[in-house]
Amino acid sequence: MKHTIYASIATLALTASGAMADDKITVITSFPDSMTGPIEAAFETAHPEFDLEILNKKTSAGVKYIQEIAGANTADIFWASAPDAFEVLKNDNLLADVSVTSEGIPELIGSYPLNDPDGFYYGFAGAGYGIMWNERYLAANNLQPAKEWAELAQPEYHGHVGMSAPSRSGTTHLTVETLLQGEGWDNGWAKWKRIAGNFSTVTERSFGVPDGVNTGNFGLGIVIDFFGFSSKASGFPVDFAYPTITALVPANVAVVAKAPNSEGAVVFIEYLLTPEGQAVLLNPAIMRLPINPATYVNAPEGFPNPFKDSTIGAAVEFDVAKSGSRYNLVNSMFDVMITYRLDDLRDAVGAIQAAEALHADGSNTNATALIAEAWALIDANPIDEAKSLDTDFAGIFTKKRKKVTDKVGERQAEVEQRWDAMVVANYARAKELANQAAGM
Amino acid sequence: MPQNPYIHKGLADRLPKWLVPNLSAIHLVAVFIALLLIGLLLVPVAQVMIVAFQDASTGAATLQNFVDFFQTSLFRESFWNSFYVSAMSVVVATAIALPLAYITTRFHFSGSILIQSLGFIPLIMPPFVGAVAMQLIFGRNGTINLIIREKFGFDIPFMNGLNGVILVQSIHYFPFILINLSASLRNIDRSMEEAAQNLGSHGLRLFRRIVFPLAMPGYIAGAALVFIKVFDDLGTPLLLNVNNMLAPQAFLRISSIGISDPMGYVISVILVIFSILSLWASFLFMRGKDYTTVQKGGGGMAKRILKTREKFLSYGVVIFILLLVLSPHIGLLLLSFGTIWSYAPLPDGYTLQNYVTMWENSKTFITNTILYASIAATLDVIVGTAIAYIVLRTGIFGRKGLDYLATAALAIPGVVLGIGYLRTFHNLDVPFTNEPMASWWVIIALALMIRRLPYALRACTAALQQVSISLEEAAESLGATKRRTIQKIVIPLMAGGILAGFVTSFATAAVELSATIMLVSSNNDAPLAYGIYLFMQTPSGRGAGAALGIVAVIVVAIGTIASQVIIERNKKLKSSGDSH
Amino acid sequence: MKKAGIKIENLHLSFGETEVLNGVSLEIKPGEFFAFLGPSGSGKSTLLRAIAGFGPKPKGRIMIGNKDILGLDPWKRNIGMVFQSYALWPHMTVRNNVGFGLRERKLSSKLIKTKVDAALDLVDLSHLADRMPNQLSGGQQQRIALARTIVVEPEVLLLDEPLSNLDASLRVQMRRELLRLQRQLGLTTIFVTHDQEEANTTSDRMAVLDGGVIQQIGSPQELYDKPSNLFVANFLGTANILEGKIEILGNNKRFLTKTGDSLSLSEGSSTVGNYIILRPQNISINHKKSKNSLPGKVRHSEFLGSQIRYIVTAGGTEIVIDQSHRAGQDWFANGTDVHLLVNTSTAVVI
Repeated sequence: MKHTIYASIATLALTASGAMADDKITVITSFPDSMTGPIEAAFETAHPEFDLEILNKKTSAGVKYIQEIAGANTADIFWASAPDAFEVLKNDNLLADVSVTSEGIPELIGSYPLNDPDGFYYGFAGAGYGIMWNERYLAANNLQPAKEWAELAQPEYHGHVGMSAPSRSGTTHLTVETLLQGEGWDNGWAKWKRIAGNFSTVTERSFGVPDGVNTGNFGLGIVIDFFGFSSKASGFPVDFAYPTITALVPANVAVVAKAPNSEGAVVFIEYLLTPEGQAVLLNPAIMRLPINPATYVNAPEGFPNPFKDSTIGAAVEFDVAKSGSRYNLVNSMFDVMITYRLDDLRDAVGAIQAAEALHADGSNTNATALIAEAWALIDANPIDEAKSLDTDFAGIFTKKRKKVTDKVGERQAEVEQRWDAMVVANYARAKELANQAAGM
Repeated sequence: MPQNPYIHKGLADRLPKWLVPNLSAIHLVAVFIALLLIGLLLVPVAQVMIVAFQDASTGAATLQNFVDFFQTSLFRESFWNSFYVSAMSVVVATAIALPLAYITTRFHFSGSILIQSLGFIPLIMPPFVGAVAMQLIFGRNGTINLIIREKFGFDIPFMNGLNGVILVQSIHYFPFILINLSASLRNIDRSMEEAAQNLGSHGLRLFRRIVFPLAMPGYIAGAALVFIKVFDDLGTPLLLNVNNMLAPQAFLRISSIGISDPMGYVISVILVIFSILSLWASFLFMRGKDYTTVQKGGGGMAKRILKTREKFLSYGVVIFILLLVLSPHIGLLLLSFGTIWSYAPLPDGYTLQNYVTMWENSKTFITNTILYASIAATLDVIVGTAIAYIVLRTGIFGRKGLDYLATAALAIPGVVLGIGYLRTFHNLDVPFTNEPMASWWVIIALALMIRRLPYALRACTAALQQVSISLEEAAESLGATKRRTIQKIVIPLMAGGILAGFVTSFATAAVELSATIMLVSSNNDAPLAYGIYLFMQTPSGRGAGAALGIVAVIVVAIGTIASQVIIERNKKLKSSGDSH
Repeated sequence: MKKAGIKIENLHLSFGETEVLNGVSLEIKPGEFFAFLGPSGSGKSTLLRAIAGFGPKPKGRIMIGNKDILGLDPWKRNIGMVFQSYALWPHMTVRNNVGFGLRERKLSSKLIKTKVDAALDLVDLSHLADRMPNQLSGGQQQRIALARTIVVEPEVLLLDEPLSNLDASLRVQMRRELLRLQRQLGLTTIFVTHDQEEANTTSDRMAVLDGGVIQQIGSPQELYDKPSNLFVANFLGTANILEGKIEILGNNKRFLTKTGDSLSLSEGSSTVGNYIILRPQNISINHKKSKNSLPGKVRHSEFLGSQIRYIVTAGGTEIVIDQSHRAGQDWFANGTDVHLLVNTSTAVVI
């Protein structure tokens, strides 16, 4: 009797998370529960024969995970925002080339193709990036909302802005890369650093930004649009705007190579593209841009419609391949120059802004020269665009050496330490010069 | 010779001699436990340590990773920050605990109950949950600062950067120092103080030269514990967005760069070494300095009656600290009942909706938590009892090693254990299925078990020490085998202590986050603590997350109170009997 | 060291509802070795601690020399106290323990060293100066505690049951040591004990306390030979107590027991009282009747080495008689009818 009980418990335990009577689809996703929940519920209602198993991982962690289990793959679907993550997996031959049938889905969203031309991944929703702000905070600090990236660099926003880091958030990575592609490598980084000089904090996860704005911890945040919309829909005193330089990129879904349940995976993708599936995106907890233009009929007041409003997301043509090739390198640069040295950067930029305020009329040419020099130090980058696209150099940041005989160049830690030394020195010097100028 | 019909044959007697040569069942149990501990503690941690010493691509032994670590300014900074935060947390915790300990042991203070509860309230709020609430009250634009800024025009950086971590940790951990300090002050015999007064000393001089040195060992014990716990804690800095400390750095490196990143392992090694060093240093300091001096019939130090002015001051201090200690609880309560709380001293309005939302969405979290914590706590008391028996009652070779191994889990930070498990079970599949073991929910329960084992072991050891060995010997002389004796005599007598150990294990496993956050791979497998973490990641989820946090607090509170009640009741039962 | 006398006037002390010291008055001469003797709870330790300044403030006067020290903080009284547990500080060496009081008095370190060395020398423990207290035996700890107190040259020395933590053999040796030291230094000393042998062998005079009240003050011999009440009589040595009344017939004073026996009383004995106290060694046991004898029957006998103790039923109670034992002497068997001859000149009527 006892033995039977033990045996049953053992079997139950072993199968608790495993194969049930339903067909299981394993999904690796970076989307939060608030989004996957309603979609999962809708899908399982429409297709009761399937059971969706959601494994929640941040984008880069999800990519790593799929790379690590490639030998004995157990994942069916990879579902995330950033197309460049999909590029990385596609290049590693970790995605399956499937054909998916859908109706009423256009080719482009904004100026961006929805699906991978080779058929490895598909868009199911759109997202853009922009600026979110807390109305009470701005009112209390006598600030106006910022509508363009460049505005965020203005001195009145010093210490009031928050953002996540590209290394921690696929969507933030896209935002950073978009500006780099839109403004060019050197100008783009310069802009980012000047904006970062106004940062209150760099958050650990992309959600940390809307969270900070919602609670009023800081006043403005650089966020993906649905964070802005869903926060507002939840009742927080916040608002959101798209700057002109922004890319509208699709959020994607793909079938993993050698998936255990590739049929089920395709059914899931197809569901996402049905009018029913698209409608779920308008759920106030989700608030993503559907890619089926017909869905917008049911959208709430004020909800942007990229298919009607052509200003959204048209300015930049996002080059996914370029982004993918320097993915980790960009992460690293942002962290080294901005995230880890935020205090130094903020102090330096603050000093320069103070100096500029004192010499606003430009009459003191010495001071103006010093200020310009200080800015140049802030703007300086350790590498240029060409180097960023150099595959050997970018390869240092990916650690994909498979064979012992592969060339062992510098280690990532070494490169980062060099960069760190450079920016620390630059920021310190910039602050010095600024203080000097202020004293004049 | 006819068999004595009243003597039972034990298990080992019935097995063929060649299979079990002279090994009793207890030996087998010891071996099994040793294997369990090795597999679930030693191997994962060793794996972590080894990877740190290996070249990332070639696998050759090297110190290069450590060189890289110390040459990277970010890591040096993180190391220094972790050290600084831990040390400052001890300082602030002492600042809170010292006046309270002083008041209770030196004066007849009618608010002593108040102080006793102060020693209990912080511990029932898991620190990472408290962090969110503290942010709302003490943050840059939190309740206090908004009010101060409006009235006085400045604000106080309570929660900026490292300060926030220090504040949250001190408020959470000061009870350890309070309890230890009070106990060691109470253990100072009155005559120690009177002898000094008789020879001309009094007041601060007396405190400095006599009282404090005698209370030191107890204080150091408490302080070392606080230091280690703060040093290893992952949840609090993570939720406060402080990333330049060791534990969050390890977590971030592994979770974003992957388990092949050597730095995560280097950091783990440093965390472990430092923990062990701190423990060792505190033992060293305490060796030979057990200053328990209370004679039979002697009392602790003389208590004075408070003068009116002193009474005001004492009550003032106690109430101030009480408010400070309750601030995370109050903040959490407000958030859980609040509608929108944004840039305002208080929420805009109040509602029960958050609890409804929480209840609808948390059933999985709660059932998972009950499952994991039950498994962990059950295994803890079983293994704990077994080890306690083996150490105290047998002469089996290596029993001390078993004890040390189980206790060593104290020195292993949760994040390191998590990383170790990921690494160790990474390539293994769950038997009979194709699932990778690293994402199987059972290892979460096992990690929780290992983390709580030292406490359960201590509870079981204490319980066994109260059972006189003559009780077992009497049973054996009447013909009972070891197994039946343990079953019928020892365990029932230990029942109170075991139950208390179970309850404490359960309650603290239920809100563990550091190891859990590394090991949870699917939301379906997430327990309470992770559930709170998830809720806090969405705009609409903060209220529900806070509601779930209140549930967590209640669970721990009930567990703590229940365990105290059981221990008290047990004591009453025992005091009529004979203890060894 | 200057000698100071101690005078306590009408001291009252209550712990809440309970009266612990009830009108205690006594006077101790300078240089005297004075004992407080009594059972536990008698208030002797409380009285001692009140003199030292510990515990709640009593009502009355405590004079040391000419100064009323009642209400003065303990650290302001120049009184040395040795605690029952010795109270050596475990975290300090012997030398630092002994020198503590001198450091509080802000003496120069050179002077401190000299004095500490002298004090350690006095108690013969100079070789242990650098040890820690937990490395010392009980007797050694006690001597260090003593040295610690003596070195600050107090006006009065208080000893709170200093011998009760030592084992029996050491106690005898230590009490002789204490007395020797006290005589050498001439310090006014109060010694608290519950052991009458200790009090008898060391003190010049003692006070017997019970229930917070002084029962009698006097030299050990006075208290033994002439107890002023039943408590003192019982507490010091064995007392045979016969109840009865005094009969005066002209010049004859007789004590008539309840059982009708009559004992003649000496000239000097008291004329009022209901009890007569007879010491065991002042009664002889005989076969023959005589003028001052009590008839009785031997119930039990014990061999005590130097004495033989007989328990004899007589006078309505059980009488204890101690008879010197000489080898070869006959014993009185149980059940024998005997006559007890009472030496009434030593009898006390209370």
